[in-house]
Amino acid sequence: RRGLSVAAGPPNTRQLREAEEAAPVFQYAGKAARRKDRVFVWGFTYSGALGVPSFVRPDAGWKKPRRIQPTPYRLETEEKISSAACGYGFTLLASNTRDITKVWGMGLNKDSQLGFQRSRRDQTKGYEYVLEPSPIPLPLEKPQETRVLQVSCGRAHSLVLTDSEGVFTMGNNSYGQCGRKVVEDEIYSGSHLIHQLKDFDSRVVQVVCGQDHSLFRTKKGTVYACGWGADGQTGLGHYNITSVPTKLRGDIAGVNIIQVSSCGDCCLAVSDEGDVFGWGNSEYLQLASVTETTQVNVPRHLPFKIGKVKEAACGGTGNAVLTEEGNVFVWGYGILGKGPNLIETAVPEMIPPSLFGWSDFSPDIRVAHVRCGLSQFAALTNRGELFVWGKNLRGCLGTGRKEDQYFPWRVTVPGEVVDVACGVDHMVSTVKSF
Amino acid sequence: LNAAPGRAPRQQVRFLPAPAAGGGGAVELVAARVPVLADHPLVRGPRFRRLKIGAGHRLDVKASGVFVLGIGRGNKLLTDLYNCHLTKVYTVGGLFGKATDDFSDTGKLVEKTTFDHITREKLERILAVIQGTNQKALLMYSNIDMKTQEAYELAVKGLIRPMGKSPPIITAVRCLQFALPEFQLEIHCLHETQQYLRKMVHEIGLELKSSAVCTQVRRIRDGVFTLDDALPRTQWDLQSIREAIQNCQLKVEAELEKTL
Repeated sequence: RRGLSVAAGPPNTRQLREAEEAAPVFQYAGKAARRKDRVFVWGFTYSGALGVPSFVRPDAGWKKPRRIQPTPYRLETEEKISSAACGYGFTLLASNTRDITKVWGMGLNKDSQLGFQRSRRDQTKGYEYVLEPSPIPLPLEKPQETRVLQVSCGRAHSLVLTDSEGVFTMGNNSYGQCGRKVVEDEIYSGSHLIHQLKDFDSRVVQVVCGQDHSLFRTKKGTVYACGWGADGQTGLGHYNITSVPTKLRGDIAGVNIIQVSSCGDCCLAVSDEGDVFGWGNSEYLQLASVTETTQVNVPRHLPFKIGKVKEAACGGTGNAVLTEEGNVFVWGYGILGKGPNLIETAVPEMIPPSLFGWSDFSPDIRVAHVRCGLSQFAALTNRGELFVWGKNLRGCLGTGRKEDQYFPWRVTVPGEVVDVACGVDHMVSTVKSF
Repeated sequence: LNAAPGRAPRQQVRFLPAPAAGGGGAVELVAARVPVLADHPLVRGPRFRRLKIGAGHRLDVKASGVFVLGIGRGNKLLTDLYNCHLTKVYTVGGLFGKATDDFSDTGKLVEKTTFDHITREKLERILAVIQGTNQKALLMYSNIDMKTQEAYELAVKGLIRPMGKSPPIITAVRCLQFALPEFQLEIHCLHETQQYLRKMVHEIGLELKSSAVCTQVRRIRDGVFTLDDALPRTQWDLQSIREAIQNCQLKVEAELEKTL
């Protein structure tokens, strides 16, 4: 019997400590680890507006196409996206870069709202549905110096705002919403035409698309409008279409407007002193606090006693404003966010801050931004959480459930939400990872 | 308890012979109160031989803090309190840089990582996300129809709670102290176990691209009972227990009435 090998007993404390100190240390993130910027999309997929082709045309034969993406899905983009906008079945993503490709579009392209996307099968025709984020060629004079600041989408047209070359418009122009003269029987599908608008009193700092009209806000605080006006949404004092951007007068003449918003046929503007002005459709009591008529074609001051207003968001049938204290007020018609009993109101009602996560435990939570879709609302808190409520049309709320949401509900996004854009049946958000 | 003066023995009336009021040797029967022999303490024995003691929510061997016990008829109140589903508050201490197999610092080492990139801001961001997802779970497991007006009103007041079985839910988290590599959190939770809290510390470490182990779990509140009501080891005697029971009686009754 040799007895050379000794059975290993339980390790005593000294051996354990030595093993611990000798263990290698792994580094997963260094001191210079940066937070990455990501884009998340959710909602109805078959229009291609989410930019994920495998939802519509699966890459394996046994996979089924996904009609609705009910929770946020990460979209891979080549560049950091600084601005996103959702239209009626299409999306625009813009980056603040100096490279030649600054804007990508996906979704419906039947009116060339995403520019001309050359089809690979037939070089003369364009794609009617774009399933992947595809670059939009803008006719820039200095493509390597100009930066795209913001994009906005309407029903069938889109606006791109640059810092030194004005506003580019493309898409349907049957009501003059692209800011150029209406051509009778113009065929918009497969059109190469992108119009440039430079004729404003000062530099344009915000562009907003309503359903069939466009609003431009300049640095001086004036607002220009063009497009369909049958509901008075152009605010120019008449109900005809306007094909050239014209300055608005009425109650906002001489007032420094700091924000404009529109999604359907109603428009809201916020001045630097915290006053709210509205014009356009009022069939859903949006402007019923000042008038009984259902269309208002001149901007009117809305005398609300809710404090200084910081931001306004105008939806299809309901509106929301955010005050300086961080409270959200809603009015209009539809699911407003105060339970199933509040269907319509002409006077703004506050949504209790406890629904946004405010409590004695965390008293410094405030709502930082409000956004509106056609029948949905979205609110972003200062902690980077996203709350949505409204009609859950084809999964556009992103809650993972199919039912409508009658009060603000958190959307689980793996990251801090920086901004969100709401469309009719889909939403896009720009997020910073942890 | 047994040393305390017991019930006075029962009295009975017996007719006992006693010498007559007058003189002579005649014997009269006089009624007198006499204690019953069967009630004598030496016959009866100690009053309490066993006490029924029940425990409230479980507490680990490695954890410490408030532990609720019920004596005798208090056990029924214990089940009622359990059905109230009140939140418990823990202070959890953690250490960055290590990962062990049982998530506490006495376990077998699995991995060591760097942690100098962690800041208090990043930790608070992760805590906010944890709170957010648990808030959703709170609403979902409470089994209330979201479409009703009463669901909205309860949500506004913050009173929505799962009133049945549910997986562990955290209602609030807060960072109390942060001094690399150590940190301390205050966690309010429902239906949890201490091992779940240790696992949560481990997962926080993973989210921050490092690793963490749990060094301390201490329960500071269990429903209505706080650290002030709890008796430390030096006060485990009859007098203090009695006082403590009396002090908590009102609170427990109020809470039960409010919920049930």
